[in-house]
Parts: sequence; C-alpha cells; structure tokens
Amino acid sequence: MRPDLAWGAECAWPEREDQKPAATPWKYLALALLLIGGLQFGRGAWIQAKAWLAQELIAHAWSRTLKGEQQVKPWPWADTWPVARLSAPALGIERYVLAGADGSAMAFGPGHVSGTPVPGETGNSVIGGHRDTHLAFLRHLKPGDALEIERADGRRIGYLVRDANVLDRRDIWVAKQEGPDRLTLVTCFPFDALRAGGPQRYVVFAYEFKNRGGERGTRG
Amino acid sequence: MQTETRPANARIVFMDLIAFVVLAASIALATAVVLVGAVLLLAGRAHASETQHGALLLKSLDGTAAPSAPLLSTDVSFRVSGMVARARVVQIFQNASADWVEGIYVFPLPENAAVDRLQLRIGERRVEGEIRERGAARRVYEQARASGRRSALMDQERANIFTTRVANIGPRESISVELEYQQTLRYDNGRYSLRFPMVVGPRYIPGNLKVASADASGWSPNSDHVPDAARITPPVLRPETGLINPVSLRIELDAGVPIAHVSSPYHRVEVRSPSASRRVIELAAGAVPANRDFELTWAPRVGAAPQLAWFAEEKDGRHYGLLMVLPPAADPGARLAREVVFVLDTSGSMAGASIRQAKAALEMALARLAPGDRFNIVEFNSSAHMLYADAQPVNPRNVRRAIDWVRSLQARGGTEMASALRLALDGTDGGNRVRQVVFLTDGAVGNEDALFRLVRERLGDTRLFTVGIGSAPNSHFMSKAAEIGRGTFTYIGRIEEVQAKMAALFSKLESPVLKGLEVHWPEGLRAEAWPARIPDLYAGEPVVIAAALDRLDGELRVSGLRESRAWEARVPLARHTGAAGMGSLWARGKVEGLIDSIREGAPEETVRIAVIELATAHRLVTKYTSFVAVDKVAARPSDAQLKLAAVPTNLPEGWEYDKVFGELPQGATDSRFAMLTGALLLLLALAMLFAPRRWRLT
Repeated sequence: MRPDLAWGAECAWPEREDQKPAATPWKYLALALLLIGGLQFGRGAWIQAKAWLAQELIAHAWSRTLKGEQQVKPWPWADTWPVARLSAPALGIERYVLAGADGSAMAFGPGHVSGTPVPGETGNSVIGGHRDTHLAFLRHLKPGDALEIERADGRRIGYLVRDANVLDRRDIWVAKQEGPDRLTLVTCFPFDALRAGGPQRYVVFAYEFKNRGGERGTRG
Repeated sequence: MQTETRPANARIVFMDLIAFVVLAASIALATAVVLVGAVLLLAGRAHASETQHGALLLKSLDGTAAPSAPLLSTDVSFRVSGMVARARVVQIFQNASADWVEGIYVFPLPENAAVDRLQLRIGERRVEGEIRERGAARRVYEQARASGRRSALMDQERANIFTTRVANIGPRESISVELEYQQTLRYDNGRYSLRFPMVVGPRYIPGNLKVASADASGWSPNSDHVPDAARITPPVLRPETGLINPVSLRIELDAGVPIAHVSSPYHRVEVRSPSASRRVIELAAGAVPANRDFELTWAPRVGAAPQLAWFAEEKDGRHYGLLMVLPPAADPGARLAREVVFVLDTSGSMAGASIRQAKAALEMALARLAPGDRFNIVEFNSSAHMLYADAQPVNPRNVRRAIDWVRSLQARGGTEMASALRLALDGTDGGNRVRQVVFLTDGAVGNEDALFRLVRERLGDTRLFTVGIGSAPNSHFMSKAAEIGRGTFTYIGRIEEVQAKMAALFSKLESPVLKGLEVHWPEGLRAEAWPARIPDLYAGEPVVIAAALDRLDGELRVSGLRESRAWEARVPLARHTGAAGMGSLWARGKVEGLIDSIREGAPEETVRIAVIELATAHRLVTKYTSFVAVDKVAARPSDAQLKLAAVPTNLPEGWEYDKVFGELPQGATDSRFAMLTGALLLLLALAMLFAPRRWRLT
C-alpha cells in the first residue's frame, strides 16, 4: 500500500480527469429552478383558474337559489354561498356575489360584507373583491355607467355609478348606512400592482336607480 | 511516480475547489429561492384569509371623538378592610362646548361590585339618587331631561358593564356623578387582590346585525344574538389621537394583620406604611389614562395569614355576615392522569400583546404536560380549528408539533367562541383521565349568556379553567364561565407574569380538589347563605359565603372531602368582627344567585320581580333596577337644544385598532406576482439547461 495515496484525491473523486461531473450540480440547479419556477407559476395560475372555474360552479348554485333554495353551497365543503348576481351590461360583465368578504370567499367571487344590507334593502350594501380577478372591471367603470343586481328572490335592481375614489384601507366610513340606498364596491389599488396587501383601496359608489325601478322590479 | 502524480493532483484539487464553490453557490441560491417562495406563499395565505365581520365595520367608526362629547375624568378611592373593599368612584363630566349636552359613559366595574349609592353633584349641591325599576328610572330621567333639569341615570348592562347618563350639562359646565360600591376581595394562594377595571374593551358582536337606530350610541348595531349590542360598545378612539379619560386612584388598605408585600403589577404606585398592617397607595403618575385594569395585590406576613374570618353587621333587625375559611393545603397526592384541551382565542382583539402572552402561556402549559397525559388544542377566531381530531398522547414529537402549530397562529378576525366551546366540550369524558379545558381568551364578546348556557349544557365531567389575557379582560366572562365550568380563573396581564400565573394554575390543575362542601347552621337558626351551593375548591382557594341570619349564636360547621378524607371547620357565630356593608354583599350574592337560576330554568319574570324587591330594599343597581337622580330646578332654557354625545373610550393598552375594527376588504391576490416570478425562474432554468457548455464554469 502506497502511503501517499491513502487519503489522496483519487479516492474521493476517482473520475476527476473527465469534464462531465462538473456539469452535474449545474444541471441539478437548473432542474431545481425549473421545478420552483413551475410551482410558483402554477400557484399564480391556480389562483386565476380557481377564481374563474368557481364562478361556473356558482352559476349553477345561483340558478337553484333563484328556484327558492336557500344558502346553496356551490360545492359541498364551501363555507359560503351566492347572495346576488352583479352585472355591468355595458362591459358584458357578470359576477356571482358570495356571502362574506373574507379571503376564503373572495377567492371564488366578490364577497358581500356581512352586516351590511343585502342589495335591494334599505341602506348601503358593500361588496369587496379582488382587483386582479372578479373586480378588475371596476377600473373601466365611469360615472353614469349602469350596474344591475339580481337578488335571490329574482328581483332586479338598477344602479348608476356616481363616483369612484382611491381611499385608504382604514376608511371604513364608506360602509356607513346613512344616506341613499346604494352599492359600494371595494377593491385594491393600484390595479396593476404586483403584490397584494397594499394599503390603498379603489371604491366605486353606485346609487340605486329609482325611476324605472318599478318597471324592472319583476323578473323578465 | 510521485513526481508524475503531483501536477495531476494539483489540477484535480483545483477542479474540486471550483466544483465545491459552484455546488455551494447553487445550494445557497436554491435555498434562497425556496425560502423566498415559502415566505411569499405564507404571506399570500396571510393576506388571503384576512377576515372581516360586519359587526366590526359599521356606524360612525372614524375613531375620533364627537366634537360635543364631554370630557371625562374619574377619581377613585378605596377603603379596604380585611377582605372587603368599599369604593367611591367620582365621574366628572366636563362640557367644553357652547351647547347643552347629554353625556353617556359606558364603563366597567368589578363583576362582583354591589353598587349601592349614587349622588349627582352640581357645584356644591348634592342630589341623592334613588333605586327604581329600570324602565321606571328611565322614564323619570327622560322627563327630567325634557324639562331641562339636570339629572343622572345609572344602568347595569352586564355584571361588569355599567352606563351613566347625565342630562343638561350646561355650556362649559362640570357635573359629577359619585357612586359607591362594596366588594369582596379575591384571596388566592395566600394573596389578596383588588382589581379595578378601567375600560370596556371592544366586544365582538355575533349574529345578524339589525339596522341601527338613530339615537344608539354604540359602534355596533344590535344583533339577534346580542340585542343590546349598541349599549355595550362605546365609541373607541384611535390610540394615535391621544389617550383620554384620566383616572386618579387612592387606596387606604387596612389588612388587619401585618402586611408582607404589596404590589401593583400594571401601574407604578407610591406606597406609604403608617403601620405594619396599613398601607396608603397612590398612583405614582397622579393620573393614568383609562386603558387597562388596575390591580393591587398583597400578602399577609408569613404566619399572620388568617385561616378563618367572620365579619357581621346588624341592619334592620337582621344580621348579615361574610365568612371566609381557608382549608389547609393539600398533601401532594398521587398525580392524576389528565386529558387537557387548550383553547386559544386568536381573534382580532387578541392581536398585539395579548396573543404573545397567550402563546407563551400555552407553550409553558404544553411543556408541563407529563407522559401518560393526553392533550389537544383548539384555536378560534371567525371559525374554530383543532390541532388533532382527537386528544393525542403526550410525547416529545406531538408536543413539538403542537408548539410549532401554536407559533404559526395569527390573531385576526371575529370571536366565534361558541364553536370553539362546542369543539372542546364535545361530550367525551377522557375515560379514566381527569378531563380539563384550559381556555385562554380576553373574553371580548357580547353574548356571554348564550356561552354560559352552552358551557352548562355540555360540561359533563369536564372542568373548565379560564385564563384571562391582556390589559382589559372581560372579568364577568372569566369568573362566571369558570364557576359554571366548575374550574377556576386566572389573569395574565403582562408577558412577565406568564411563568408565575401559569405555575399557580398548574398546581390547581394537578392537586386534588376539596369537594362536597357543606355549611351546617346551628339548630333552630334561620339562615340564608349565598352562593347556595359551594363550589369545589382548588389548591389555595378559600370558602367564601355571605349570609343573612336572624341571630348570632351557636356554632357554624363547614365540612368537605378531599380524596375521601374529611375536613371540617367550626366557627362560633358570636365571635364576629364588626364590619359595614355586609348587607349589600349578601344582597348582591342573592341577586346573582337569582339571575343564575334563569339559566337553570327559573321563569325570568318571577326572578325579575324577586330581584327588584330585593334590590329596592338594599338600594342596589342590578340588571332590573337603576339609580336615578334629578335636580329640583330647571337649568336649561326651553329654547336651547340638548345634544347627545357618547364619551369615547380608549383602546385597551396593547390592542391593535385595525385588527379589532377591521379594514376595507383586501381586494387583491398574489397571482400576478407568482406567475411573473415563476416565469422568470423558468426562463433562467431553461437558459441554464441549454446554454452552450463553454459558458459554464469559465
């Protein structure tokens, strides 16, 4: 046995003469990045997919709601249910509004803030939603645009956009009940921000359109 | 041979080094990317589940004071003798505006306070208040208010929440309401404690909210579960706008025995010692904002602690007495195998200092469990979740997992306490183990009665121990839930207290209780004592009863069982210490007993009539009776308008306003960010895979 080879590099790295092995960690790194990138992209895409697929399921729950069932869960383990259908005819937009404006409901649709009246009842109905999914259309609303709500009892109520403002997340006065019957739509601002969690909110105020309300009150 | 291998070796070592550096760099990069991804994922989850509840969003919630709201300051003085305290609370309403004002102030008092006196003070004049049935008192007050006379009304909303209303405070005028109450002190583990709550923390209001009436002064409208929500939710000022409602406080303490140690854990105080058994305590700062409970505790000198005390007073031909007997300490017996379910409140009101205290307490409790025990954890805010589907054996792996889980919890959202209690009190009895539920909460809810009923119905053989967390816990909830749950209550107000307070709680959980306690009155003596049933006693707790007797003679016997060993104490009734205010304490105990009987099925109307009769005789403020005081002369000119204004309150110290009152819904997801960073990483990876070989490593 040769003493100089007892702990030589030959033993630890026997094939070091070859160029190949140096590429292996590089390849692993690339594959790891590929995996992480794929997961990260998939996570983002999943949020979008979930948001829009859910609306399809909720559409079905809504048709059952209109037939008189109450609190129809769109899928068996859901902890929310549709309470109204919101549409912006000029933009061709239709959204099913879910009960509760918490994160778990808003992943699937705009959420009705519990404690505020259901649209069509006296007061100020507040609806929140994500600026990059269901309520992305708010940026295109202009004063005078029409919005429509279909209620669980089939009644439809027209609203006209009065105003839109950029506010702070702590401006909870927008949920005050005093004043005309109205719809207050809340989403995050700015619309194109990459990250969630910013302090600003984009708030659209729409007042109930009373004149023709009587004619449109019944289901057509 | 050697000369040939040397250069080759050197080259190989050099290549090794490079490969090692590249490998290390790539591992570091990959780790960083994974970590960033994990952080983003977690952050995304935190944002996505931000919960709002309607009750936290409504009605003039701008966090600033109404311009016409009167300024309020409070001056409190206590006289403590033995184990009874008499307090005088002076509330000064100062109208700084040019209008005539009616002020409303919602404030807390100890949950066992017997309020038996009220005076309205206008300058030098004093108008004595009268006890009336609540509705009648209100009518008297409203009449006086309409006629322009200065008047005051004091209602009880909960055992520990009261409202004073003062009408017709003139422009730039000050009017005071002076009230007095009597209270039994808590004596536990050799220490007396006196608690003075200063602020009603914002309560969570469950249920469907009703449309608020215009004159309601609370921040929450009433709900179907809390029909008086507007009355117990005084407006709350944002802490950034400054602290209000100064309180000054003075305690004259006469312990009757030499005092070893006085401490005020939450406020700095100055203590003077006129004699070995007496102390005079004042706030070092003079006055403090009403934003956290005050507590004073003291211990008698070793050996001087009383084992038995019997105070009595004669009033209208009847004797009223207060008895305290401290059973001797239990021998440390065989440790009982236990199944413990911890319930942790992670609602928005717990955010900040409270959740840190609660988590520290829970971690300590987990570490204290012994092999052979079983445990589980429930956390709740807008909904309740369990760590394990069933209680799990205590072993290092399970405890480690539990601690990791607890550390990951965040405080936000509502306080749906009923669902948590249902999970913890699920009808199981722990088999041959003693089943104990340890409930860590600030009790910031408005539906106490419904929760008490739930505990009563589902308790079975389980015992419920409440741990009141934070600067302003709901003492009514803590003590009553523990009483119904046949356990005991503990307060933790600062992170530094966790160790000592939890250790004391454990000694209670682990020692055998003294049960089957009974009071035997002498033959032929007519006596009525409250509480009617004496609860089981945990280590360090005394028997305390208030009694009304027709005469004071003979010998009273108190007996009980600890681990099948009998214990008995004898009290010669004639050997009493004279003390004032015993009648109020007895009546207060009886009122509580009557109101508790509603939960056990007594018809409310019968109870109401009985309470009104008793409270009128003893001049007590109760749920059904109020104090009203009306000045004789009209002050406000008939053409001057009266403005109603609620006195705003502070947010309890350590609480986070936005976590309690919510924000506008969070309207964004991280989907774009995730897709963008994901796409960039994919591009980078592909570039690395297909880049020409010669770019690498050079």
